[in-house]
Amino acid sequence: MRQPRLSPGPEEGRDQDLEGLLVRVARGDHAAFETVYDALSAPVFGLIKKVLRDPSQSEEVAQEVLLEVWRTASRFDAAKGGAMSWAMTIAHRRAVDRVRSETSAAQREQKVAPDPVSGPDDVADAVEANLESQRARRCLDGLTEVQRESVKLAYYGGYSYPQVAKLLGVALGTVKTRIRDGLIRMRDCMEVSW
Amino acid sequence: MRFQRHDLHTLTGSYALDALEGEELGEFERHLDRCPSCLSEVRGLRETAARLAMATAERPPAAMREQVLALAERTRQLPPLTGGTPARRAVSRRARRVWIPRFSVAVAALSVAAAVVFGVNQNSAQDQLNSIRSQLTSAEAHNHALAAVLAASDAHLVSSGTSHGGAVTAIVSPHEGKLVVVTSGLPALPASKVYELWLLGPSVARPSGLLGGAQNGHTDPVVAAGLAAGYKLGVTVEPAGGTLRPTTAPIVDMSL
Repeated sequence: MRQPRLSPGPEEGRDQDLEGLLVRVARGDHAAFETVYDALSAPVFGLIKKVLRDPSQSEEVAQEVLLEVWRTASRFDAAKGGAMSWAMTIAHRRAVDRVRSETSAAQREQKVAPDPVSGPDDVADAVEANLESQRARRCLDGLTEVQRESVKLAYYGGYSYPQVAKLLGVALGTVKTRIRDGLIRMRDCMEVSW
Repeated sequence: MRFQRHDLHTLTGSYALDALEGEELGEFERHLDRCPSCLSEVRGLRETAARLAMATAERPPAAMREQVLALAERTRQLPPLTGGTPARRAVSRRARRVWIPRFSVAVAALSVAAAVVFGVNQNSAQDQLNSIRSQLTSAEAHNHALAAVLAASDAHLVSSGTSHGGAVTAIVSPHEGKLVVVTSGLPALPASKVYELWLLGPSVARPSGLLGGAQNGHTDPVVAAGLAAGYKLGVTVEPAGGTLRPTTAPIVDMSL
């Protein structure tokens, strides 16, 4: 089961601010949206670029996602999750949709050599390396190799779990359970309070 | 393919990472509606994934800020969901159905047109248009933009089959610079996809609305504005919520 959070982490305060801002954005408050943009644009763009690799395509998708945040702010429900994870869910879905549409899949293959176990970390060039993300990386390092690679290929690589199974040469059922076990371990390691 | 309950439950992780596709995705989403513990686990795992996202943060090009803020200035926001509408996904099909009763008269009349008009000659198309107009009194009370196009003296009907099956019908008023788009028999899409309309000019593809709330093979009428001479109407399949530029080939491309 989940462990209770002992003290609020740096993300939590920020997330509460974001939630209040999204409520104002839903009422059409453009000043609030500017602040939301400043909080979300780097995580949104970074995640999309991690998945798509191509900077100009990533910029296009990031714009769509941030506009989607504006458009659908009224649908954000704090009872169902944090503001950051709401936005990141939209961003990741859009990136994955783009990857899985055939045309861009072809472009992507031309642009990057396949590198299924691309390291923990082209992440190192992250501009906003903060405590929480260091912690995420430390927790990632605490997973078994198959758990870690499965989670990374699915999330950062945008691969479906059958594709992950093929890339890692393991059974479908194994990947399903490794992704879940790995994420649960990450959740407990990072003391995520949901 | 059917899955055992315990098998479905192990998909929470893959679902939280958007690693499910196709039939399995649909099956798991239906399962989530009935499995509160799965839903709760998915939420926790999504929060976890968001922390992984934070580790990749990278500042976008500075010019993007002005572009996004300017786009927001001219983009209408979705209204909040009200009442007992199921709201698990931000932009679900079920959410859009809320609007249907208001347009039911228009939908009924226009869908007749969409079904019948495709492939018939201009005279009967004109008759159809007149018949639609006569049925639209009550729709008029609800939707002025839609009624204005239908009532325009230069309104004409254009219809075409799509490469995915079904037909798209547009009632076009060049004078108003607007058109009303209805469809018949378009294949249903998964919740993650939507049909998007485009006005295709010589050098632009302008996003012109989403075909939401497909019911009984028909979609809600959509009013698209900004029509100019020489523009064509295109429809593509896009991620739910729509995109700013077409990312797939049009399933229909019709002169107006």
